[in-house]
Amino acid sequence: MIDYIYLTILFPLAGFLINGLFGSKIKNEKIIGIIGSSAVGLSFLFTILSFIQLLNLPIDERTRVVELFTWLNVAGLNIKFAYLVDQLSIVMSLIVTGVGFLIHVYSIGYMHGDKGFWRFFAYLNLFIFAMMNLILGDNFLVLFLGWEGVGLCSYLLIGFYYDRKFEKGTVPEAAKKAFIVNRIGDFGFLLGMFLIYQTFDSLNFLEVFSKAEYFPISETTFSFIALFLFIGATGKSAQIPLYVWLPDAMAGPTPVSALIHAATMVTAGVYMVARASIIFASAPAIMTLVAVIGLLTAFFAATIGLVQTDIKKVLAYSTVSQLGYMFLAAGVGAFGAAIFHVMTHAFFKALLFLGAGSVIHAMHEQQDIRNYGNLKKYMPVTYLTFIIAAFAIAGVPGLSGFFSKDEILWYSYSKGNLTFWIIGALTAVITAFYMFRLVSLTFFGKERFGKDVHPHESPKVMTIPLIVLAFLSIVGGYVGIPEIFSGEGGNALKNWFKPIFAPAEAKLRTFGSHSHFEELLLMGISVAAALSAIYFAYVVYTRKKEIADKTASSVKGLYNTLLNKYYVDEIYESSVIKPILIISEKVLWKVTDNKLIDGIVNGSAKLIYYISIIIRKMQTGVAQFYALIMMIGISVALFWLILTL
Amino acid sequence: MMDLSNIFNSISFVIPEIALSITIVLTVLFDLIFDKDKKIIPYIVLVGLLVTGYFVFAQMDFANFGFTVGDEKYGMFTLDGFSNYFKIIILVTTIIIIFFSSHSNEIIKTFDRSGEYYALLLGMALGMMFMVSASDLILIYLSVELLSLSSYVLTGFTKLSERNAEASLKYLIYGSVSSGLMLFGISIVYGLTGTTNLYELNTLLQAGSINLTTLGFSLILIFVGIGYKISAAPFHFWTPDVYEGAPISITAYLSVASKAAGFALLIRFIKTSFVSYTDASGNWHLLGIFDWQTLLIIIAILTMTLGNFSALSQSNLKRMLAYSSIAHAGYLLLGLAVLSDQGLLAVLIYFFIYMIMNLGAFFIVNLIANKINSEDIHDYDGIGYTSPLLGVSLAIFLVSLTGLPPTAGFIAKLYLFIALVDANMITVAVIALLNTVVSLYYYVRVLKHMYLNKANESTQAVIPTLQPRIIVLALVIPVLLFGIYFTPIVSFAQNCLNILTK
Repeated sequence: MIDYIYLTILFPLAGFLINGLFGSKIKNEKIIGIIGSSAVGLSFLFTILSFIQLLNLPIDERTRVVELFTWLNVAGLNIKFAYLVDQLSIVMSLIVTGVGFLIHVYSIGYMHGDKGFWRFFAYLNLFIFAMMNLILGDNFLVLFLGWEGVGLCSYLLIGFYYDRKFEKGTVPEAAKKAFIVNRIGDFGFLLGMFLIYQTFDSLNFLEVFSKAEYFPISETTFSFIALFLFIGATGKSAQIPLYVWLPDAMAGPTPVSALIHAATMVTAGVYMVARASIIFASAPAIMTLVAVIGLLTAFFAATIGLVQTDIKKVLAYSTVSQLGYMFLAAGVGAFGAAIFHVMTHAFFKALLFLGAGSVIHAMHEQQDIRNYGNLKKYMPVTYLTFIIAAFAIAGVPGLSGFFSKDEILWYSYSKGNLTFWIIGALTAVITAFYMFRLVSLTFFGKERFGKDVHPHESPKVMTIPLIVLAFLSIVGGYVGIPEIFSGEGGNALKNWFKPIFAPAEAKLRTFGSHSHFEELLLMGISVAAALSAIYFAYVVYTRKKEIADKTASSVKGLYNTLLNKYYVDEIYESSVIKPILIISEKVLWKVTDNKLIDGIVNGSAKLIYYISIIIRKMQTGVAQFYALIMMIGISVALFWLILTL
Repeated sequence: MMDLSNIFNSISFVIPEIALSITIVLTVLFDLIFDKDKKIIPYIVLVGLLVTGYFVFAQMDFANFGFTVGDEKYGMFTLDGFSNYFKIIILVTTIIIIFFSSHSNEIIKTFDRSGEYYALLLGMALGMMFMVSASDLILIYLSVELLSLSSYVLTGFTKLSERNAEASLKYLIYGSVSSGLMLFGISIVYGLTGTTNLYELNTLLQAGSINLTTLGFSLILIFVGIGYKISAAPFHFWTPDVYEGAPISITAYLSVASKAAGFALLIRFIKTSFVSYTDASGNWHLLGIFDWQTLLIIIAILTMTLGNFSALSQSNLKRMLAYSSIAHAGYLLLGLAVLSDQGLLAVLIYFFIYMIMNLGAFFIVNLIANKINSEDIHDYDGIGYTSPLLGVSLAIFLVSLTGLPPTAGFIAKLYLFIALVDANMITVAVIALLNTVVSLYYYVRVLKHMYLNKANESTQAVIPTLQPRIIVLALVIPVLLFGIYFTPIVSFAQNCLNILTK
């Protein structure tokens, strides 16, 4: 099956082509939905089969390159269009196609009746196609192709409701913001890619990484490459300072938020860092930077999430925060833990978003959690699954989020330092709090919506994906039980990833030893803190709302700062956007462009035009004249001949 | 003396040409038999072309000299990868032109004479097939004449307008002068060396003791004959007038196949007669007797600049495409001027892609002209909206002709520029690049008329029927596909780089 891995990429492409070309003619929502979903479903099936085959191979044969064709072979640059199937890419593929399939099915219900139904499914399939190229590409160029492709799909899908308003602006503005911010990151990624080609004379993963491992290359070079790649990652994975686009990306339909802006695309940066782990491991300074940026993003985004009132906004900041955790893990050298969290996060965050979608659906597009309340009565399935996901993200022991988050926190201490752990644990507490603020305001307490609103449970096509995801959110963590419980070598996922990350880990060479007691103590503290935060949030937001209001008014300054997201958008507006606009209008446009460039361009255009008229006059239409010129040509050539002899 | 067994041996090398000749005879016969219903003729022609194509493929890997004289090793006919590549281009073009003709109103109007039309078309094809294989000045001259005579007639074939007749007459006059000069050149070469065979010419030139001024004079005259076929400046003046006056299908044919044959001839002429050896990295080392490189570079720059600048102010699309094809000949000449295998590779790739995109552009202009009876750019206002398929396709062809990604035209230019840069011809590459920028203007101007201008009363929707639609798609899809996945063309061209030399 591995040899046919390209099928997993072709199915979504076929789905995109069918729905994209003929969708407007098919009209029947069911057929469109089935085509779109089964394209991804088939892709998932083939991924599973490939995964099983990979499982049955001996460990040292689990890296397979499936070559399709030579893409470029010009001037010494030889790029093959090939896919790399190994432990890392197959896990990512399983997540993308699996969660992607569920979200496709869910969308059949969610997008019901939308005038752009076929367009939606076409874009969604195109996204899966691009994402699979990103994950499976065996060189940086194919990865970049997918990278840009998912960016394009993200842009198209954020702007899906292009005729609607979004917050202070419009939906297309939100889409543009995502696009532009991502361009900054992509620029960094491109620079990194150029530098890689210059340094290693190749863009092929296996070649580059083996050279990175064994060749004597200076740390400065590695640092620059890693820095540029990381800038790319901060754009795609919404990290400080480029995270600002992700909350605005919520302007898109909710399944899109679940698929692209929570479960898959935004983790591409983490995947890329993990894929290039050996390069990052060779640049310790940048590793620290990655960890610090991840930690800060996790913390600040979580604090912003505390006070947001839009259900999707809370989840968006939560996503930014969780992505920060993943970078924290990567930054301290626990790449496996980062990918583990990518996986569990995909389950519970997709579930949270889909649950939120179900609520929004039931509440007639109302997204303000202050206008919800007691929805558990009307939407039992949504309520149950949502609360499972909330427990998972809060790190309640036994659920998937606990295992991955605990692993990250432990490594942040054992491979990093105590400060990392303290801030990380604090973030976990805040996470538990805002999640249960959200749960309480939505599902418990008094009904705060009008009499004319009749919430109802969503149809089966939407609730079944919720149930499946809830199941995964519960059991998904058991592939990575910490060794403290499972014994030495008992962490299945860690063993699975071992061959991939071994070179990087060997290079990092950290650790002294840490006792089991330390691990248990830290785990105990963070779990206890998270559980009390859950309880506290529940009490405050269901029974004693006044505590929340009082606290808010007593620290009004802080509250407003959080509510306005630390004014980062405003700071960007006045420090970057305004100056650029002013310079571009006053200097670049009015002087440079209008006078200088237009002058040169128009001038040369005029010149060319006059030359063209002169030349045209030679074409008289008189055959004798043509013959004359021919003879003149021959004579000139003869003179030249004689002169050169 | 040419003995009989020699001839028999050699006949196996010209099986495709024989098949084509038989097709011509059959066409004429069927034209007489089916006096009333001539619909069958194009099909006979198609079958004949496919059979010919099959024979070309069958001898794809052969390389041999045919029709040798006496005990000499080298003959007047050379079969190699290079000739086969061009034969395939010629045959594919011919096949597309057959389809093209059946959707051209100009040709349909003269349907009762369609037997003559197709026979003459095949006559052109036969001439070209011999041109790309000819390694003897006499055969070169004969094949050029076979091509020319057929094309003079076809240019004026429809007899529908004065323009048509004028074009034909101009072509004839201009062509006769050129071929006269060429024959003069050939006779001087024979007088100097006593041979007409290119290989022997090479041997004699290597030995030296030939009056170089006289030889140079004769070479310039021969170059005039070929330069006129590929419409290189300053021998290109006939091109716009003839292209505009001829039926569009013939214009398209002249601009692709006839040009390809002319180029193949020029390349073989230079490579066989004037290259002393090819080194390991594929550079051709000229005999130090005639500076082909400088001549080619000057002519190339002159050609592309004149072509592009003249195209700027054209509002007749057919005429604009005529100038654009002159400009493309300039780019192609640059590829040859590199005088290396890499340059040759660039030329081969360029021709393949040029064939698809140029035929596509002409075909759409033809379809639109069928309906609105005009090739004026102002009648294209808003046509992108009224005729979406044709609009988008024409846009793609024009973008590809400009050489922008992600179309095949970009790949063609990419390989050309890489060859130039590799050969350190940076200045020339920059001039070519600037020329490309100039060409952007007139290609995009068409897009502007199609998409940015509102449709007016004179704009008519052109919705083609199924068959032309398939032809358009069959030409558009490769342009896009080869823009992304171009390895097949490159490896095909790479296998056909082989020009048989001594």
